[in-house]
Amino acid sequence: MKILIVEDEKELSKSMATYLQRESYTCDVAYDFKDGMRKIEIYDYDCILLDISLPGGSGLKILKALKDDKKLDGVIIISAKDSLDDKIAGLNLGADDYLPKPFHLSELSARIAAVIRRKRFQGSNVMVMNELTIDLQAKTVSVNNKPVDITRKEYDLLLYLVSNKNRVISKNAIAENISGDSADLYDNFDFIYAHMKNLKKKLTAAGCGDYIKSVYGMGYKFTI
Amino acid sequence: MKLLQKTIRSYFIYSVFVLLVAIPVFYFVIQQIVRKDVDRDLLATKELLQPRITEAVLNNTTNQVIFFNQDISFSISISTYTREIDSLMTVEIYDSIARQTTPQRVLTSYFTVNGKPCLLQVKTSLVNNNELIKSIVKVQVILLLLLLAGFFMINRSLSKRIWDPFYKTLSKLHQYKVEKHEPLALEKSSVYEFDDLNQSLEELTNRTYQSYLSQKEFTENASHEMQSPLAVFQSKLELLMQTAPLNEEQAELMGDLADASQRMARLNKSLVLLTKIENNQFAEVETISLNQVVESYLQQYHPQAEDKKISIFRDIQSEISLEANKALIEILIDNLLRNAIRHNQVDGSIRVKIADESLTIQNTGTSIALDPGKIFQRFKKDSKDSNSIGLGLEMVKKICSIYHYTIQYQFSYNLHGFTIRFNKS
Repeated sequence: MKILIVEDEKELSKSMATYLQRESYTCDVAYDFKDGMRKIEIYDYDCILLDISLPGGSGLKILKALKDDKKLDGVIIISAKDSLDDKIAGLNLGADDYLPKPFHLSELSARIAAVIRRKRFQGSNVMVMNELTIDLQAKTVSVNNKPVDITRKEYDLLLYLVSNKNRVISKNAIAENISGDSADLYDNFDFIYAHMKNLKKKLTAAGCGDYIKSVYGMGYKFTI
Repeated sequence: MKLLQKTIRSYFIYSVFVLLVAIPVFYFVIQQIVRKDVDRDLLATKELLQPRITEAVLNNTTNQVIFFNQDISFSISISTYTREIDSLMTVEIYDSIARQTTPQRVLTSYFTVNGKPCLLQVKTSLVNNNELIKSIVKVQVILLLLLLAGFFMINRSLSKRIWDPFYKTLSKLHQYKVEKHEPLALEKSSVYEFDDLNQSLEELTNRTYQSYLSQKEFTENASHEMQSPLAVFQSKLELLMQTAPLNEEQAELMGDLADASQRMARLNKSLVLLTKIENNQFAEVETISLNQVVESYLQQYHPQAEDKKISIFRDIQSEISLEANKALIEILIDNLLRNAIRHNQVDGSIRVKIADESLTIQNTGTSIALDPGKIFQRFKKDSKDSNSIGLGLEMVKKICSIYHYTIQYQFSYNLHGFTIRFNKS
């Protein structure tokens, strides 16, 4: 799957590319408006990560050009301008998602996966990993074809882990994914342990392998 | 004090002063004139009567002296002493017909006939004269008042017409909002000074708008410039976490770094938001149900409250709808509720009350009252909680001042409470 990163901050582009390549994505990088425009004209991408303020022009213009050409590339706006205007303008122009900087790479990876799934699989959309099956349409989980009763929060958590499989996800990233901006209201990360413990218990009880590993001091990892 | 009042006030004070002085003086002068006239009459009468009385006394026919005058009466008597000078005085004498004392002017004159001292008293009533004086003064006062009133009316309408362009400019200025920047479009007047003023104002608003624009740009740039390195830092850290092998010490250090970078990101976000509020970048206004906003945030923070075993009590007595920017009201409620949870204790409580155009959020917490003079200041935080940034209440205060809401902190029965009054005026 091909991804285009249009971002003028070279180090950030490099980080994103490195992280995403591990998920077997092929990453193209454009550092300015002109380069971005050129690349979207020549190639088709599964997902484009688009910064708004670029040297040489606005990322919104690239988005508009994409939509004018009726291209089906998924677009996630990554903007430092944490402004509602940009978000609304971007989504109105047909962007699939909006992620304000700074963001966690694991969050980005999960969002890309969601956008690509939506674009690719219109009908049934099932993820199978050994005995574990996740039905993304019905939002259900089954182990060895037997449904596992998990809460919505646990489902989201599992999907987040799976979207970043074999990579360490920091506690901060998980906390933010679970409760958004209100994550800082928890005194500590105990609530993550609680959710994680329940999820692991339900999966192993259903006969699923113990894929969720805690990584000392940092966070969690879904190893498969 | 209004401009028109100010110009008229000096005239008014002077006129009242003149009126207050002039009326008694006028009254006094008229009285003197009338008195002199009466005295002259009395003296003339005395001159007329004296020879006749002398003759009558000689003939011993004093009771036959007749003098026809309705106003003036006289009396003769034998005196035991004599005086060279006539005396004139005003005496209150009981009038048996009118059954009341009336003021009388009395001329007392002494003279000697055949060596016998005689006393002649000539008197006249002052009642009619006093009535006359009063009437004259009354008419005069009414005339003066009419004159004054007319003068004020004319002056007022004249001033109004002259100052009209000024007031028009003023009302345009009131409506001017820098974030919307519609040109003032001030009318041309016939007065040079006003035209000059208008031109200066137009230049001023243009300059203000320019600096507003550059300030806004700066905020955006600053947020961009700060968030980019933050994003780079965070992403590199996440990549570092993926490297292997990592020992426990390294992992722990990285975890701490991740916490710190998260805090930096939050701080940056709050600062950007605060600057945006200060720049009035939330200008669009709509009708918002405060009750709905409060309820939705209570729902949103339910897991966090539950985590701390905080019970939430609602006391909703009225429906409040506000004409305001939705994002701002959400920030307002968000920050108050966050504080109520953050600075709470395990097994604590939060009370939310909506009644009489006011919202009160109370929470348990430390048993010491906060310093109300300091809590709304930037980075003044009593809490040792490192997740607390110290910008929340400043944002709350800024938003309240934008919409002229009043916010108050009170500490009673070990509850910290914030009350916002949404005065609808």
